[in-house]
Amino acid sequence: MTLLPYQQSPRVNLPYINFRDLLKKKTEKDPDREFLIFPESDRTFTYGEFHALSVAASEWINARTRERGTSCILFRNTPEFLAVFFGAVALGMTIVPINPDLAAAEIRFIIENSGGASVFYDPELQEKLAPLKAEMRHVVFYSLSDVAELPKVDVAAVEARLPYVESTTAAAIIYTSGTTGYPKGVILSHMNFLVDGKAIAEWFQFDSRTRSLCILPLFHNNGLVVSLTSTMYAGGSIIMIDPKASLRSFWALVERYHATFTSVMPSILAAILALGFDGGPGTLRGIISGGQLLPRKLAQKFESRFGVPIFEGFGSTEATSYSCFQAYPAERRKPGSVGRAMPISEMMIVDDTDAEVPDGTEGEICIRGANVAIGYHNLPELQNARFRGSWYHSGDYGVRDKDGDYFFRSRKDDLIVKGGEKIYPAEIENVLSTHPNVTECAIIGVDDVILGQEICAFVSLKDPGASAEADLLNYCSRFLARFKQPKRIVIVNQIEDLAELPKGPTKKILYRVLRDYYERRLGNSEDPEALKWVLGSQGAG
Amino acid sequence: MPKTLIELYAAVSPVAKQVLQIPRFDSTLTMMSTPSWDSLRHVQLLGAIERKFGIEIGGEDAFKLTSAHKLVSYLHARLERGSQK
Repeated sequence: MTLLPYQQSPRVNLPYINFRDLLKKKTEKDPDREFLIFPESDRTFTYGEFHALSVAASEWINARTRERGTSCILFRNTPEFLAVFFGAVALGMTIVPINPDLAAAEIRFIIENSGGASVFYDPELQEKLAPLKAEMRHVVFYSLSDVAELPKVDVAAVEARLPYVESTTAAAIIYTSGTTGYPKGVILSHMNFLVDGKAIAEWFQFDSRTRSLCILPLFHNNGLVVSLTSTMYAGGSIIMIDPKASLRSFWALVERYHATFTSVMPSILAAILALGFDGGPGTLRGIISGGQLLPRKLAQKFESRFGVPIFEGFGSTEATSYSCFQAYPAERRKPGSVGRAMPISEMMIVDDTDAEVPDGTEGEICIRGANVAIGYHNLPELQNARFRGSWYHSGDYGVRDKDGDYFFRSRKDDLIVKGGEKIYPAEIENVLSTHPNVTECAIIGVDDVILGQEICAFVSLKDPGASAEADLLNYCSRFLARFKQPKRIVIVNQIEDLAELPKGPTKKILYRVLRDYYERRLGNSEDPEALKWVLGSQGAG
Repeated sequence: MPKTLIELYAAVSPVAKQVLQIPRFDSTLTMMSTPSWDSLRHVQLLGAIERKFGIEIGGEDAFKLTSAHKLVSYLHARLERGSQK
């Protein structure tokens, strides 16, 4: 097994080879323990039942794929997602989970870019995928509405035919927003997932009594690693909920299913607070928060109202999920920090010359360890730029204090993080700039009480009278997933004190000036009055 | 108060169309196939339905109502139960 330079240190002792090995060994140890609970459809799978199901899925997938290459999947948090995922990776295939909310053009890009030869999907997406199925003749599409459709198999016989899959084999390509406007695929191995899952399980002292409430989508790493892999590593149980339907039910689900841990984006905590849902900690020992900065006031209000400690961490898709966490248990946390590197990771802060800086000095956060990804899919220049000198360079800036605790400061670029979803301005600018009446445009992230950030577009029109904001929003909706569509489009030709997009001497658009303009002139008018108290301006809670 | 499923679809339709900003509300509609049916709108939709029908939808039910069919069937059962009391 050959590790890449940025995966070699620190050394990690991993007792499982791959996902199948982990599932099989957990099944052998406690086959009757509850593994996956799906309250929406009222289905529960023990480790033994799911192991048999995953083997049946392997057989079913193997009969449908011409070659064991890359396969894309589009499902919600359902047994079908997990059966196809485990079934395929046991065959040595690489899975590309795709957000079903993406626009058809975005889904097409990911299928093509990843080289996906097959697509497994929820039949509810039939209408959205119909044009892709017609156009992409070289790709085979299979719908799976219910795992009960999978034929029963002789588990031992099928398992004996499954190939040996190395730890370093690519298990998934996770697509995340890219600076160029096109999503980039991050290739993660079985080892990446298992090492990060192990680290999280050990950090939070998970065991077979751990019951994780998974309210984040499985097509993102957070759900796949923090809720699924880490809990599975400990032999615990996972309650799987559709993220879009979970907000109002959060406390009821904690109580009903005796959840001990959950993982969220800060926007979920803000929404639960703001919407005034009552609940108490019950069995919940902690909430893991990441994906975007957690405002201190929000964390304090949530903890004082509900009595559950929140543990903030730092990581990225390129490091599988998290690389550091605030200390557990709660009394050992350092407020405001994102914690210390987990034992499977090493982190450092560097300056512009890649030299490590003294503690207390701000610089770029770098990570190495067995949780660091294989790299980017078919992006050699970006690969060399971000994975260099035996470290992954995150593009996030922060400081480390003398105790070894890290503090996040800012992004190096203009990345927008909206409700945990990462969106680069170019992704939206690439679409808006193709509108026939748009001469130029610029996208900025603006503060939002619940989502952390929202999207605002500034556009300059050829004929200011020919297109209204609604026309441009409608145009965006044809090509972009809803969460990437701007909340507001400002037509600069119609504003007296802006008139055109501000530019520097090299004619580059000055995004900072636009952000300042928005804050001065437009920002406050969009704050929902009822939610202001979350930030402390009212005392509603 | 609407009693049949057809009557309930008709009663829920204007509320759902307004909250979810959709042109039509019928039995084929699901959370997955409706981009505007996001987590905050789900909360808003259930709140609007509670007000319209004078019922309370508990957290133990809210996460299951992920399609028009499930939502209307749930309402039907709730209102049936209410009328039998």
